[in-house]
Amino acid sequence: MPHRAVRSSRALFAVLAAGAVILAGCASGSSGGTPKAAGSSGSSSQAPSNNTNTSTTVGAYGTLPAASGTPVKGGTITYPIINGSTPTYIMPILPGADSTVYNQQFEELLYRPLYWFDVGNRPVINYPLSIGKAPVYSDGDKTVTVTMNPNYKWTDGASVDAQDVLFWIDELRAAVHPVKTDAANFGNYTPGDFPDNVDKASAPSKFTFVLHLTHAYNPNWFTETQLNLITPLPSTTWAQDKAGGTQLDYTNPANAKKIANFLEAQSGKLSTYASNPLWKDVDGPFTLTKFDSGTDANTMTANPAYGGPQKPVFQTLQALYFASSTAQFDAVRAGKLDLGEVSSDNLPQVPIIKRLGYNVYGYPGLGFQYTVFNFQDKTNHWKNIVDQLYFRQAIAHLQDEDAIIKGVYGGAAAAAYGPVPAVPATAYVPSDASTNPYPYSIQTASQLLSSHGWKVVPGGTTTCIKPGSGAGECGAGIPAGQNLNFTDYYTNDPASAGLQTTQLASAAAQVGIKVTPVAKTFNFIVDQYDDPIAPSNNNKWQVEFYGGFTEGAYPTTDTIFNTGGSNNEGDYSNKQADKLINDSKFSSNPNAVQDEASYLTKNLPAVFDPNPDLIYAWKGISGPPDSFSNLTQYGFTPEYWYLTSGS
Amino acid sequence: MTSYLIRRVASAVIVVLGVMAATFLMLHAVFPSPAKVVLGARTTPQAIAAFNRDNGFDRSVGAQFLTYVNHTIHGNFGYSYKLNQSVNSLFKENAGRSALLSGVSLVLAVVIAVPLGIAQAVKRNSLFDYVATGTSFTLYSMPIFFVSLLLIAILSLKLNWFPFEASQASTVIGVIKQPRSMVLPVVSLTIVSVASFSRYLRSSALDNLAQDYIKVARAKGLSERSVLYRHLVRNSSLPIITLVGLSLPDLLAGNLITEEVFNFHGLGLLFFAALGNEDYSILLAYTLVGGILVVLGNLVADIALSMTDPRIRLT
Repeated sequence: MPHRAVRSSRALFAVLAAGAVILAGCASGSSGGTPKAAGSSGSSSQAPSNNTNTSTTVGAYGTLPAASGTPVKGGTITYPIINGSTPTYIMPILPGADSTVYNQQFEELLYRPLYWFDVGNRPVINYPLSIGKAPVYSDGDKTVTVTMNPNYKWTDGASVDAQDVLFWIDELRAAVHPVKTDAANFGNYTPGDFPDNVDKASAPSKFTFVLHLTHAYNPNWFTETQLNLITPLPSTTWAQDKAGGTQLDYTNPANAKKIANFLEAQSGKLSTYASNPLWKDVDGPFTLTKFDSGTDANTMTANPAYGGPQKPVFQTLQALYFASSTAQFDAVRAGKLDLGEVSSDNLPQVPIIKRLGYNVYGYPGLGFQYTVFNFQDKTNHWKNIVDQLYFRQAIAHLQDEDAIIKGVYGGAAAAAYGPVPAVPATAYVPSDASTNPYPYSIQTASQLLSSHGWKVVPGGTTTCIKPGSGAGECGAGIPAGQNLNFTDYYTNDPASAGLQTTQLASAAAQVGIKVTPVAKTFNFIVDQYDDPIAPSNNNKWQVEFYGGFTEGAYPTTDTIFNTGGSNNEGDYSNKQADKLINDSKFSSNPNAVQDEASYLTKNLPAVFDPNPDLIYAWKGISGPPDSFSNLTQYGFTPEYWYLTSGS
Repeated sequence: MTSYLIRRVASAVIVVLGVMAATFLMLHAVFPSPAKVVLGARTTPQAIAAFNRDNGFDRSVGAQFLTYVNHTIHGNFGYSYKLNQSVNSLFKENAGRSALLSGVSLVLAVVIAVPLGIAQAVKRNSLFDYVATGTSFTLYSMPIFFVSLLLIAILSLKLNWFPFEASQASTVIGVIKQPRSMVLPVVSLTIVSVASFSRYLRSSALDNLAQDYIKVARAKGLSERSVLYRHLVRNSSLPIITLVGLSLPDLLAGNLITEEVFNFHGLGLLFFAALGNEDYSILLAYTLVGGILVVLGNLVADIALSMTDPRIRLT
C-alpha cells in the first residue's frame, strides 16, 4: 500500500510535532552502483528539475544541496522513529488501527507498492520506481490493464508478477468481508470502493493483470486512489494457513480467509518480525534483520536481490526510537543521527545544527489545514449566520496568512487558500491557487458585514440591524440585535494552533466579532467535535482548528466536503460542491479536481490556513536531491543515499 | 498483627477496586470510544462501528467494567490496539528497566540523604548547613523535567561528558552494561529525592538530638561517633522507612517524566505514549499497578516501622 493512501489530520500534526520519515520515489540511477548526483536520469516524464538551491522557492525552508562527497560502500545510516510512529504491523494490508504513514514507511522498505509516489517534492506517480507501468483504461473506463516491470524479484527468486497482485486483492477481499470485523481490517477501506468496485480481476499473462470495474471511474481517481492501494504479495510463499504449511489455492474464498487470518496473526507477533521466515521473502531494497519490540528500534540490511533502479550502496539502515521530538532533536544536536527531523519548536536551533554540518531542508506536504465551520450548531442562530457566504468571506478576510507564516512558522510554511494549495506543485493545482480570493483586510471584512445589514462596532459588539433575507439584509433566520460571538476550539499542541487562532480572534475584534479561543486536546476535538462521528455534540461548537488532512496524490475532497461525507467534520453541504466532487470521482474530465478545488476555495466550507513545512536535517550522507526533498512528501528512499568519506 | 494485616489487605482490595472504577469511569466519560483517534481522522463510520464492536465499546459501561475486572482478576490486562501487543507482554518488557532505574536512584538517594541530613543536623546553622539547605530547597523546587533538561544541555550537549539519552538496551542486563548512559537519568531522579529525604532526616535528627537519651549517652562518656552512629542515625532514620515505602510505586510506575526526557524504555514511557493514543488498556493497567504499589508501599512501611520502632504496635 503506497503511503499516499493514508490521509489524516493525525499525520499532518504528528509529523509537525513528532516527525515522520516516510516513503516515496525519487528518480534516478541505474541498477546498482553509486546514485547519480543530480538524480534525474531515468525519471518519469513528470520528474521535476533537480533544483539544488530552493531557498527562493515559495514555501521552501533552507537549501537542498546537490549530491556530493565521495561515496563510501557499506556502513550504517540512522534515522529516527518518534513516539507514536513506531512500526506495529508488517503485512501490507494495514488494519485501521495500524493504518499510519509510519507503518507504511516501515513495510514499503520491504514490500514495494505497485505504484510509487513522489518525484522529489512533487506528489506524482514515479514510474521508474513503480512495479506497475502506466495503466491503460478501456471499455469506457470500466476496464483497467496494467503491465508490470519484470525486474522485481522476491527473495526466493520468484518474479513479482500478476499473480502476486491477484493474491493481494483476494486477501484484501478476505480481510474486509468476513462476518465480524470487516471495515476496520483495512484502514483505507471505504465501502463501495476498492475492492468492492472490482467486479473481476484476471491475469492474461505473467506480468499483466486486468481489472473489470463495476462503474466507469475517472481514470486519474482510480489510478491514484485505488490502484495505489495495491502492494503485490509473494503468492508462492505466503498462501498458507500455518507456518510451514502447504500452499493453498487463494482464489478459493475460504482458503483466502484462512490465509488472511494466519498472516494477520503472524503480523501480531512483533517480537518475531526479524526471525519469521514469512517476512524474509521481500521485494524491497532492504530486509529486516533486527526488530526490538521492547525498544521499538529496528535494523534493516541492503537486499542485493532488489530489482528496482537503485540498489543500496550502504549496508545497514537503523531506525532509532525517541520518546519525543525533543529527545530526537537532542540526538541531532549531539550529531548522533544521520537523518533527523526539525519541528517548528526547533527552528531557533537550526543555526546550531548547521554549524555541526547538518543540511536542513523543508517544504510543505500535499494537504491542507483548515479552520472548520460547524454548519449544524443552532445555538445563538449560528447555523443561520454561518450559512451566509458573506459572513464566511468576512472571516476569511480577517485571516492574515502572511503574518502567520512569518510570525508563527518563522517563514517555514506556504500560503494556502484552498484544499489544493499552489505548493507542492501537482497536475491538480487550480490555475487560481496562487491568488488569495479573500486577502487580509479588516476594512473589506467590515464592509461585507455593513453591506449585509450589520452595524459594525470595532472593538465592541457588531449587531444585525436589518433582519431578513433580501439584498442588504443579514440573512434568513438572523434576528435583529443578533451578535457575532462564537467559540473557536483549537488543539493545544502544537503551539502554532493557538497562535493562529489568536490572530483570527484579534482581527475579528476589530470588526466587532467576539471570537473566544478555547484550547482542547487534539484527541478531544476529533473525538467530540465532529458532526458525523459525534452528532450529539452538534450544538456544542461553532468553529474549530485541529490541523487538517494530508492529501493523496489525487486531492479530491471526497468524504471531506461532500454532503454526508464521513469526514465532513462541520457538515458542510452545497449542491454544486457535491456535483464537482462527484465528477472528480466518476467523470472522465481530467480537470475535475481543479474545478472542485477552485470552487471550494471560493465557497469557503472552512477557512484554509497556511501549510507548514516538513523539515529534515541530514549530515554525513548524500544522494540525489530528490531523495531528500521527497521526505517532505512523506517519501523515504534511503537506497539512494550513501555515506560520504569522513562522515 | 495478623488481624491487622487481614484488615489492611481487605481495605487494600477495596482501595484498588476504587482505583479501577474511578480510572475506568473517568476515561470512558471523557472518551466513550477511542475509535476515531485510533483509526485516524479519515476513517469511516463502518470502520468505527467495527472497531467498537471488536473491542466492546458498543456495550454498556457497566458491562465493559465487569469484563475489565474479570480479565484483570485473571491476570489479563488487555490488548494494546495501537501497539499491537498484549499489555502483559509490554509490561513484562518494560517493568525491569523501570525498576532498575528507580531502584538504583532510590538506593542512592537514601545512601546520600541519610548522612547528609544527619550532618546538617549535627552542624546546624553552620555554613555547611546553610549551603546544603539552600541547595536542597533549590533542587526540591525545580521540576524534574527542568533538572533533566539542564543536565542534558550542560553535561551532554555542552561538555559531552555523558550520552544525551539513557541506555537503549532491551534487557536489564544490557542496561547495566552501559552504566555511563544511565548516569544522567539516575542523577536527575536521585538529586530531587536527596533534596526531599535529607530535609526529613535533618528535622528528625534535630528532634532526636534534643532527646534525653542522646544526653544520657553523651553523659555516659560515649564518643561522639558512637552517639551518632549507634543512637542518632538509627532513631532518626525512621522517617526514611515511610518515605521509601511511599516511593515504592516509583519503582515501576513513577518515572514518567525522566523516562520520557531521557528516552528510556520503561513503564513511564509506555504510559506517556498511551496517553497520546488513548490506549485504554495500557492507561488502565498502569494506573492499577500504581494504585496497588501505593497500597503495598504503605503497608510495607507500616510493618517495617512497627518492626524497627518498639513504640509502634499494629493492632
